Amino acid sequence: MLSRIRRNINIFSVVSIVAAALIVIPMLNILIEIFNEPTPAWQHIRQNLLTNYIINTTILIGFVAVFSALIGVFGATMVTRYEFKGRRLLSWFLMLPLAMPSYIAAYAYADMVSYTGSLARMFRWLNIPLVINVMNMPGAIFIFTLTLFPYVYMLTRGALSKQSAAFSENARLLGAGKVRTFIRVVLPLLRPALVAGTLLVVLETLNDYGVVAYFNVRVFSFAIFNAFENLGDTPAAIRLSGVLMVMVFIIIAIERFIRGKRRYSMHVKGRPLPRVALKGWQRFILPSLLWVIMVLAFFLPLAQLFYYATLTFTSVFTLSFVYLTINSLTLAVSATLITVLIALMLANYNRGSQNRFKKGLLKVTNLGYAIPGAVIAIAVMIFFIDIDHVLYPIYQFINPNSPRLVLSSTLVMLTFAFVLRFMAIGYNSIEASYDKIGDTFTEASYVLNTSKVKTLLKVDIPLIKHGLISAAIIVFIDVIKELPLTLILRPTNYNTLATEVFRYAREEMLQESAVPALVLILVSSVLIYVLTHYKKKGVPINVR
Amino acid sequence: MYVRIEDLYFGYTKNTHVLHNVSFAMQEGEIVAILGSSGSGKSTLLRLLSGLEMPSKGRIEVNEETLCSANTFVECEKRHVGMVFQDYALFPHMDVIKNIAFGLKHLSKDAKKGRVQAMLKLINMEEKSHAFPHELSGGQQQRIALARALAPSPDILLLDEPFSNLDEDLKTKIRHELRSIMKKTAMTAIFVTHDYDDALDIADRICYLEDGRIVHEEVIKRS
Ligand SMILES: Nc1ncnc2c1ncn2[C@@H]1O[C@H](COP(=O)(O)OP(=O)(O)O)[C@@H](O)[C@H]1O
Ligand SMILES: [Mg+2]
Repeated sequence: MLSRIRRNINIFSVVSIVAAALIVIPMLNILIEIFNEPTPAWQHIRQNLLTNYIINTTILIGFVAVFSALIGVFGATMVTRYEFKGRRLLSWFLMLPLAMPSYIAAYAYADMVSYTGSLARMFRWLNIPLVINVMNMPGAIFIFTLTLFPYVYMLTRGALSKQSAAFSENARLLGAGKVRTFIRVVLPLLRPALVAGTLLVVLETLNDYGVVAYFNVRVFSFAIFNAFENLGDTPAAIRLSGVLMVMVFIIIAIERFIRGKRRYSMHVKGRPLPRVALKGWQRFILPSLLWVIMVLAFFLPLAQLFYYATLTFTSVFTLSFVYLTINSLTLAVSATLITVLIALMLANYNRGSQNRFKKGLLKVTNLGYAIPGAVIAIAVMIFFIDIDHVLYPIYQFINPNSPRLVLSSTLVMLTFAFVLRFMAIGYNSIEASYDKIGDTFTEASYVLNTSKVKTLLKVDIPLIKHGLISAAIIVFIDVIKELPLTLILRPTNYNTLATEVFRYAREEMLQESAVPALVLILVSSVLIYVLTHYKKKGVPINVR
Repeated sequence: MYVRIEDLYFGYTKNTHVLHNVSFAMQEGEIVAILGSSGSGKSTLLRLLSGLEMPSKGRIEVNEETLCSANTFVECEKRHVGMVFQDYALFPHMDVIKNIAFGLKHLSKDAKKGRVQAMLKLINMEEKSHAFPHELSGGQQQRIALARALAPSPDILLLDEPFSNLDEDLKTKIRHELRSIMKKTAMTAIFVTHDYDDALDIADRICYLEDGRIVHEEVIKRS
């Protein structure tokens, strides 16, 4: 028994278990709080506001999910099944909106359609009697759809480009036309990717605070922030978080229930369908639709930001802005490195295992992404205050005049929260690469008596380099644009590019917000370019 | 002649040919085996017959209908050709009944049900009607794929290496089963294989395919 335990203790298991514990404890704090006596503020929220929050949130995520799914699948189908001018370009352009944080698009659009905004003026100049107001629910749906559909696009494109042609060919031989084949066979087989992508969109929408605060759309994250910041009522905020988490779990449970015992993949050989050239009117209309989406989602707001940046560049681009940028990048890099490193340990610990305990541990460590940033922020804050409480005697021992709170409200706390929230993203990307290479190489190395750590460094990491790099890029982009977590947990007077954009926007200095917004978008765009163009040189990615 | 294939040429890219001057004919109810080694163009030939690929030259006629010639090309969904793919390609998200009924969309609900039941009976798998493909063994999957292809009563049935995914000891039994099902339904069938024993057990006639050319034909005498 002892020898078994000793055999099971290694750097991977230790890191995994500690990581899981650090993630569970803050979440437990939230659960415990729910069972405490409710405050009067909560009574007020429950009686007067809660129904409204639930309805608004449902409407928002419902429409955003449907529209993103439509656009994402349309884009993925176009670039994987058809050949047309500009296809290669669009195939990675359609990922670019990920570099455009929803709140920045929201600020840009709100400004463009306001009375003095560029679009409104253009409409007047063209004598188009069109006055658009985006600062409402439909506006929020528009913004979230355009900035988040790439999640659906990315995952369904991957699935489509791997789907064996045998299924569609079989359907056609059985007399089904193109439409029936698509609806009855191609689309259902895409379901896991479509659901996963749409779920990411929904979770990102629930996580947002920037858009809904600016547009005054009263959904859950709005309510949580309001209870926390304006009413100072943390217990009420925690209760709201609890309701929100229940909603997320209900959505996931419904999907599982509908799926039943069906499967969506089978080992069927065969290449994917070849791309066919678009014909006739389709040749112009269909690609144009994609370009319209690209312009609306990315190039139009980007152009507006560029214009404003030229106006405010000299006043905003000061030495302190340079420091802020460096701060922001350093923070994002360190959070990314820690996340990817722990995700790598977790993936190693869990490889090829059917062990229930390990699987449970993994579910827990991947929970973070399903929980909106505001909730995580509050949980982490309570957790760190507790830690400081426990460590206070030690602080006093080192420095008799030590303040009570040392770790709380430091970058340690913020980084911790980032790691907690984005672990799932890093892990999934790494796990996918491990799945691709299989276990043979690693086993061969163990058989040759190479140590686990050495195997990791010499065998695994070179093989899954591509997966590691994409994990790092996606986590980095998410960290650098993350707003709700950063707003709640950042140290006093510590600003990132994201919070700087938010601050300017809140003070109605939209022109000034353009410079930090642009830096953020450009950095992310470059990374998306790297992600989509990185070639796996000399690495046997498809062995197995 | 029920099936007439004349002078078929085909290549996946310009200036290369996978099939050269392939010609043969079949009588109604006949079972022909195309025997050839891997890469000789067997699957390609079936793809041409089913309409999944267009020949660069040649003519295909089935049941007095020209499916393909210099100036006609009938799309695959209109050909009444049934095909069983090498790894069956059962729709993983549909149960057995839905899989078999997929090609019967022109029938009324009751007629559909009756036809599916008849097919299940034919392949002797009534008890598995609500199973999903991943719950079936390789041999069972193959029979479902066969039933799915036969359900719309195609003019001709094509089978691509129907035994390549099955265990050795099952093979003999399934070969005889397959032949008896096809004879019961009086189906005209072409199946391709690289295994002489397969061909010998099932076919009425064997065509030898080498590098995209039919080099020899052999009639199997059965007592
Ligand atoms: N989709 C395709 N594109 C290009 N070449 C192909 C394709 N399918 C098959 N080939 C080539 O055509 C030849 C015949 O293939 P195939 O008909 O599959 O042979 P068989 O089924 O007899 O093993 C092979 O050389 C193969 O590499
Ligand atoms: Mg073949």
